[in-house]
Amino acid sequence: MRNVAVRNWVIGAGTPVLLLAAWWFLSANSADPFFPPLETILIRFQELWLFDHFQSDVLLSLGNLFLGFAIAAVAGVVLGFVTALVPPARWMIDPLIHFLRGIPPVALVPIFISLIGFGTQMRVTSIALAALFPTMIATVDGIRSVSNDLMDVARVYRLSRKERVLNVLLPAAMPQIFSGLQVSLQVAFIVMIASEMLGSSQGIGAMTLLAQQSFMTADMWAGILLLGVIGFLVNILFSLLKRKVLSWYIGSRRMARAA
Amino acid sequence: MKESIRPSAFSALGIAGALVIWQVLAAANVAGNALPSATTVFATLATILGTGTFWSALGATLGIAMLALAIAALAGVVLGLLIGSFESVRYATLAVLEFLKPVPPIVILPLAVLVLGPTAEMALFLVVFGCLLPIVMQTVDGVQGTDPVARDTARSYGMGEGEILARVVLPSAMPYIGTAMRVAAPAALVVTVVAGLLGGGPGLGQSIYQAQAAGDYASLYGLVIVLGVLGLLFQGATRLAERRVLHWHESYREVVP
Repeated sequence: MRNVAVRNWVIGAGTPVLLLAAWWFLSANSADPFFPPLETILIRFQELWLFDHFQSDVLLSLGNLFLGFAIAAVAGVVLGFVTALVPPARWMIDPLIHFLRGIPPVALVPIFISLIGFGTQMRVTSIALAALFPTMIATVDGIRSVSNDLMDVARVYRLSRKERVLNVLLPAAMPQIFSGLQVSLQVAFIVMIASEMLGSSQGIGAMTLLAQQSFMTADMWAGILLLGVIGFLVNILFSLLKRKVLSWYIGSRRMARAA
Repeated sequence: MKESIRPSAFSALGIAGALVIWQVLAAANVAGNALPSATTVFATLATILGTGTFWSALGATLGIAMLALAIAALAGVVLGLLIGSFESVRYATLAVLEFLKPVPPIVILPLAVLVLGPTAEMALFLVVFGCLLPIVMQTVDGVQGTDPVARDTARSYGMGEGEILARVVLPSAMPYIGTAMRVAAPAALVVTVVAGLLGGGPGLGQSIYQAQAAGDYASLYGLVIVLGVLGLLFQGATRLAERRVLHWHESYREVVP
């Protein structure tokens, strides 16, 4: 039994290492312009991102990402509460929301470029608006699935409207809100890259696309590598945050399953 | 009666209100000619709908999205069954899949454009890349979630491994695969548009890019509206297809009173 566990662990850790080694050695003397040696890519990675363009491009991209995401998160939750709790508001904006959600988020970027221009403002606006919908829709769903018993108890205890919203509805809808936030974060990441690729000269996405257009393949690979790592890390960090905030919920689920 | 009319009345009011606000903002010239009025956009949209280039772009977008979705579904289910059936394969691929899962296809767009050029193949590749992993992972979950009793029962009836896979494991993974497809179908459309918009691949994404680059804002808005409608249709169609294919599953069975 223990042997199997050890074997699985070795396979699990060994495969990525093997793949990376294969990439390193197979590309070692590559003259193919599209697939430069991994060594060259890593050297360019170090030269570009650590720390020459770190402040001017990496921090800029990440700043836009987090600012846009933060706006989307707050606005999404607030709008979600308003639509879920005020039926006329829900009836009014429901069809509009569904229509806007059907538009690929990246397709909104050209519209914002034409309205606001190419600056940081446009990028943050695009990210915030595109990332708004998943959180908002998840919030509405979360509030609607709060059990009536819970709301009845809150009413019997004569909790004020504010207490009911902040102390009963918000925690009860939290698990769904966080699922929505995770989707929003992914959308925000995609729109961050897209907003930089469409005619901007700053940011990781812009640098990666410019490198591709000027056939600086190693630079392009370095950009792809950085974007991949950022996408992975941002997701991991959010999962950790989610686990921390929702620990009460995960615990209660585990208890319910054990019972 | 009155109760059921009110929501749709408010919906109509909401849509009308949005259109009026749009018209007023455009008439007030808040954004110069970058914000054309609603009437101009819909008139332009009507002209666009009469051109052959629009329909061939629409055809290219739909064709790429659906072909890529079919490839991703087939390859994803086969890979998922393989990974889910063998523990060692599952452990070998775990780290790689977990790393690639949160990486959207737009990240490798420059590489795809470099190698394949601004072509339909490039768009196809990106869409398959974007849709494959979620389908693989859901299929693996589905295989893992197969009821062991059903598996053992099939074995004691003398079914071979292949027959168990086709008759027990695959059907029980079907709802998982259905969920993955419902998420993947709109995503396929989105990635196709992204490949056209940023990578120059054929389809509506390219049309949007050209409209924006030419400063033809009325067409830009018109095309984005078309994409919104298309997205709604895609979501509706996948929901319907899922219901059709999975009508036997308990979450879809209709209760006959």
